[in-house]
Amino acid sequence: MGGKPVIPNFGKGSSCVTGDHFFCWDWVHQHWNDTLGPALWQHVELTAIAVAIGFALAFPLALLAHRFRPLEQPIGVVSALVYTIPSLAAFQLLVPFTGITWTTVEIALVAYTLVILFPNIVTGLRSAPEEVIEAARGMGLTRRQVLTRVELPLAVPAIIAGLRIAVVSTVAIGTIAATLLPKGLGYPMLLALKEPTPFKTEIYSTGILAVALALACDAALVILRRALVPWARRSA
Amino acid sequence: MIRKHTRRAAKAAFAISLGVAIVIGLFAAAFTHPAHAQTTKAPTIIVGTKNFPEEFVLGQLYKQALQAKGFKVSYKENIGSTELMTTALQSGKINFYPEYTGVIVQDVFHHANSPKTAGATFRLAARLEKAKGYSLLRPTPFYDTDVVAVTNATAKKYGLKSIGDLKKVGAFKLGGFPECKTRNTCFVGYTRQYGLTKASFLPLAGISAYAALDAGKVLAADVFSTDPPLGKNSKYTVLKDPKHVTGFQNVAPIAKTTLVKAYGKRFVATVNSVSRLLTLNAIVAMNKAVEVDKQSAAKVASAFLEANHLK
Amino acid sequence: MIADTASLHTFVQAFHFIADNPGVLLSKTGDQLELSGAALGIAAGIALPLGVILGHFHRFSGLAIGASIFGRGLPSLVLIGAFLTVLGIGFVNNMVALAVLGTGPILTTAYEAVDRADGDAVEAARGMGMTGAQILRRIELPLGVPLLFTGIRISAVTIVATAPIAAIAGGGGLGDIIVNQASYRLSGVIAASLCVMVLSAAVYSALYALQGTLTPRGLRRTTLDQAPLSRKEQQ
Repeated sequence: MGGKPVIPNFGKGSSCVTGDHFFCWDWVHQHWNDTLGPALWQHVELTAIAVAIGFALAFPLALLAHRFRPLEQPIGVVSALVYTIPSLAAFQLLVPFTGITWTTVEIALVAYTLVILFPNIVTGLRSAPEEVIEAARGMGLTRRQVLTRVELPLAVPAIIAGLRIAVVSTVAIGTIAATLLPKGLGYPMLLALKEPTPFKTEIYSTGILAVALALACDAALVILRRALVPWARRSA
Repeated sequence: MIRKHTRRAAKAAFAISLGVAIVIGLFAAAFTHPAHAQTTKAPTIIVGTKNFPEEFVLGQLYKQALQAKGFKVSYKENIGSTELMTTALQSGKINFYPEYTGVIVQDVFHHANSPKTAGATFRLAARLEKAKGYSLLRPTPFYDTDVVAVTNATAKKYGLKSIGDLKKVGAFKLGGFPECKTRNTCFVGYTRQYGLTKASFLPLAGISAYAALDAGKVLAADVFSTDPPLGKNSKYTVLKDPKHVTGFQNVAPIAKTTLVKAYGKRFVATVNSVSRLLTLNAIVAMNKAVEVDKQSAAKVASAFLEANHLK
Repeated sequence: MIADTASLHTFVQAFHFIADNPGVLLSKTGDQLELSGAALGIAAGIALPLGVILGHFHRFSGLAIGASIFGRGLPSLVLIGAFLTVLGIGFVNNMVALAVLGTGPILTTAYEAVDRADGDAVEAARGMGMTGAQILRRIELPLGVPLLFTGIRISAVTIVATAPIAAIAGGGGLGDIIVNQASYRLSGVIAASLCVMVLSAAVYSALYALQGTLTPRGLRRTTLDQAPLSRKEQQ
C-alpha cells in the first residue's frame, strides 16, 4: 500500500467566503478565470447560436407568410403553442429524442426565438404604409423590388425590436438550460444553491452577469438600429 | 422618401447580417455536433460524475490524471445520482465513473443487507458488476457513507444517539436527496431495520439538507460522512448506525470492461495510482476546499495531483 | 428518424404515469396553483393600482413600459436564487420571486389601459363635470378592462409556467417532479411537464372567460386583446 498522500494547501477562502458574507469581491476576482468567465462565454455561445439559427429560420418563414397571407394564421397558432411550453419542461420533453446534449438545449432555445421573431418580422414587413407601396408600384417597381427597397428597410425597426426581445429572452431561458447541461451561467448558480449553505456571492455574481449580458446585447442592438435606420422614430 | 445611399446601406447591412447569422448558425451546428462514432480503434474514455461536490473532485482527479498520462478523456459532470448514472452507463453515454461499493451492492443490485466488511463489499460489488460487463478498479482507502444527522438541539431534546432512538420521536420527517426514498442504504433501510414506521420522507431536490435542518423543515436528514458541516465543532449530531444499514462505502471506479481491455495496464495503473492516495484526510481536505473555501473542483484536483507527482 | 420507438415509448409511459399517479399529480398541481395564485395576487395588488394611477395621470410612461421589458429579461433562476439567499427556502421566497416576475406585464398593461382610454369619452366626461376619480371609475377603468385582463393573463401564465423552477428552492409544485428524474423516471418528468402545460392553458382560458364577464357590454364585440406589448415594444 502506498504511503500517505501529500495534501497541498488548497488556498483557504477568505473570511468573507467562509462566513458567507453578502458579497465577496475577492472570490469573484479569484474565480473569474475558472468559473465565472467560462460560464459567461458558454452563455454567449448558447445565445448566439440560438438567435442566429432562430433568425435564419424566422426570416424566410416571415417572407413566406408575408407573400402568402393564409400561411400566417397556422404558423401563428403553432408559435403561440410553443410559447406556452415552460422552458424547464421543454428541455425535458426533448430528452427522449435528442438526449442530454447541446442539441436538445439549442432546439428548445431556437424554438422560443423563432416564436418571438416570426410575428415581429411579419408585422415589420406589413408596416409599410399602403400609399408608399402604391407609389412604388406606380413608379414601376416589381414586387421583388418593392420588397427589397421599401418593405424591408421599413421593417428594420420591428425586426430589431424582435431581436432585442429574442436575445434578452434567450439569455434568461438559457440560465435554465443548466438544469440539463452543466454549461452557461445557470450552472454555477445551481451548484451554489445546492451547497450546504447557498453561496451568496456566486449566486449574485452569476445573476448580475446574466442580467448584464442581456442589457449589453439589448444596447448593442439599439446602436445597430440607430446605425441602420437613422430616420426611425426613437423608442418610447 | 428614403434616400438612395441609406436605402442601399440598409440593404447591404441586412444582407450582411443575414449572411453572418447563417454562417454562425452553420459553424455552430458543425461544431456542436457530437463527434459521433469516430471509427477509431479504441473507444473514447467518457468520465461521468454524480451530482455532488465530492464526485466532482473525484471525477476531476481521474480525468486529469488520465489526461496527464496522454489519454484522451471526455468529461460529463453532474449527470445525476446512482440511478441516472446506471442508465447513462448502460446506454453508453459514459463508460467510467466513481461509485461507492455499498451503493453498488445494496442499491444497484438491491441486496437488502450489506456484507460484513469493506473488503467483502468490494469483492461482492466487483463480482456483480463483472457479470454485467463492468470492471471495478481498486477501491479508495476512504469511505463515505450516508449518515443520519439532526441538529444538536434536536438530539438533546429527544435524547438521540443512534438511528433507532428516532422511534422515540413518533411521526417525523426525514429529508434527503430524492433517490434516498427507495434505497436500502437509505430511507428504506432506516425504516425497515430500525422500525421507524412513523417516519415520512421529504425529497430535497436542489436545496441542501443542512439548510432544511436549520429551517426546521425536517427533523432528521440523510447526509454524507465526509461533508464539511459534520467536521469539527459541528452544529449537527450524527446518529450511530449499529446495524450497518448504510453499508461500507469506499469509492471504486466503474469502467466498462471493453474499455479496460482496450487501454490495458497503463490505464488501470493510472487510475489506481489516484485511488491509492485518497485517504479520509485527503478527501475531507479537498471537500472542504471546494465546499467551504469555494475553490473550483478542477483546481483542487489539479493541485492535489501536482503535489503527488501524478500530473 | 429522429424519434425512435424508444422515445415515443417514453411518451406513452408518461400517460401511464398520469393514470397511475393522479393523487400525487393533483396535490402537486394544487401546490403550484397556490404558489402561483399568491404570487399573482401580490403582483396584481402592487402593479394594478400603480399602473392605473400612473396611466390616469399620464406620468412615468417609461417606467411602466420598461417594467415589462425588464421583466422579460430577468432570468427567473436569478430571481429565485437571489430571494433564496435573503428569505431562505420555502414558500415565501418563491412567492416573492414569482411576484416580481409577474409585476411587469400587469404594470405595463394597466398603464396603457388607462392611458389609452378613449380620449373623446374622457373629454366628454370632463365636459360633463365629472371629477378625476369619477372619470377613472366610470370611464377609464371599464374601457380598459380588456387590456387590463390581457396583462393579468400574460402575467398569470408566466407565473404558472415559471413556478416549476421554484422546486429548486423548496417551492414545491409540479416542479418537484420535473427536477427529480431519478425518483420519478423520465415518464414522470414528462407527465408533470404536460400537466404544467395543461395548467397554463387552463389558467389562460379561465381568465379569458372571467374577462368576458367583466367586460362592459358595449365593448364585447371589439377584440382588443392581441397582446399590445409586441406592438408597443416595436418602437
